Amino acid sequence: MQTAVIDMITPTTQFTSSSTMGVYEPIHQISMWDDTFGGTISPNTDVCIITQADAKLDDKCEYASDRSLEPAEDNQTAKSIRDKVVQRRLAQNREAARKSRLRKKAYVQQLETSRLKLAQLELELERARHQGLLIGGATANMGLCGNVNSGIAAFEMEYGHWMEEQQRKNSDLRNVLQSPITDVELRLLVDDVLEHYCNLFRMKRDASRADAFYLVFGMWRTPVEQFFLWIGGFQPSELINVVMPQLENLTDQQLAEVYNLRHSCQQAEDALSQGMEKLRQTLAQSITTLAAGAGSYSSQVVSTMEKLESLESFAQQADHLREQTLRRMSCILTMRQAAKGLLAFGEYFQRLRALGSLWAASPRKFA
Amino acid sequence: MQQALSYTNWPPTTTSSVVEVPKLVAENAVVVFARSGCCMCHVVKLLLHGHGVNPTIFDVDEQNEATVTGELSKIIGTGEANTSCMPQFPAVFVGGKLFGGLEEIMAAHISGELVPVLRKARALWL
Repeated sequence: MQTAVIDMITPTTQFTSSSTMGVYEPIHQISMWDDTFGGTISPNTDVCIITQADAKLDDKCEYASDRSLEPAEDNQTAKSIRDKVVQRRLAQNREAARKSRLRKKAYVQQLETSRLKLAQLELELERARHQGLLIGGATANMGLCGNVNSGIAAFEMEYGHWMEEQQRKNSDLRNVLQSPITDVELRLLVDDVLEHYCNLFRMKRDASRADAFYLVFGMWRTPVEQFFLWIGGFQPSELINVVMPQLENLTDQQLAEVYNLRHSCQQAEDALSQGMEKLRQTLAQSITTLAAGAGSYSSQVVSTMEKLESLESFAQQADHLREQTLRRMSCILTMRQAAKGLLAFGEYFQRLRALGSLWAASPRKFA
Repeated sequence: MQQALSYTNWPPTTTSSVVEVPKLVAENAVVVFARSGCCMCHVVKLLLHGHGVNPTIFDVDEQNEATVTGELSKIIGTGEANTSCMPQFPAVFVGGKLFGGLEEIMAAHISGELVPVLRKARALWL
């Protein structure tokens, strides 16, 4: 009941030290006036009486807080009223602030939970989609060998986590680059991001033992991402092309070294690509020999299977090249440039993936 | 001394005589030991060609693999444990010493360390 009265009087709570101090203490006022009038005022009293009381109290408070004026007759009462009012106001301040903090905390927690749920749902959706693709594509993952499936499934799970972590690190880079930070601190973050990429390469190495083809063809990626794939990942020379326009203040020496690096990358990429081509030719020959039925069939099948295994080496060497390129770039660039470069590359990755998801989700036009 | 280099075509200088292994390693600036038909060896060759180097290729097959591995282990040295001494194919020897496999060649290629090493071993004249 009294609460209702308070609400009517104070529709918005404003905890300012204004002359409306008395407005917040209707309960106190009631009890005070109760005393004065011998308990004739009850909690159900009409609002206007309270407001009248407010007005009177207002005057008293203003009066009492203004030292230059003559104090009223009941100076003591005014003073104690004022003190009590102040105390109550401070207490309500604290209470309201505390409640506000709790509400904010609850809201943020809700957001966090929703975010996690969303990430989980996205991951499940990805996996379901890919499993749909795999079953349709009749690959070894059709459950012929339980190990193969679980290795790949584990990789997909880990990749989801890796991407989330990557997004967090991108945010860190973004924040850090906007604030003043020492090179020493920046180096810690840069090294951390590089280490995160190395984690990915390690994950991929483990997964390629389960299924090298899955890795090389980027089966866990969206088709748009696969379009840009080079032996299971980004092309190192392309990394340099993406990052370079985002960097400023490169010295001539740095420019020369970066272009040298790009040239070396292209040479290494060509060498690996031609190696893959040679593998294809060798395999084609093996298959022809098999078909001809000459010689011992089973031993030829074995040797052909062995050639297929070398795909795993290609995937590994490609990842190794990526790692070397990243490290070399971070050596050539200053800490700040390296951080910017890593952020630019991370964002490029994110956007590419987002585009891929969008394309995969959008309806196709049929002729 | 290596055979005269021709930059327009690369005649493969391959040999399979096991007896010659130590001699080969000692007398040639760059020697690559690889299993026949290995695609990784092809990659190594291409990288080295890119630097103007025509390496001597030694074909390792089933018959000579054990012997070759033994010979190479001797060259590498017996100081370390046996397993780490066992060379992985393709194995690249520069200036008489084991440089490593494709991974090491690639790392040196990217970091820019490969050219000085090749130059020092007189595989390059420029």
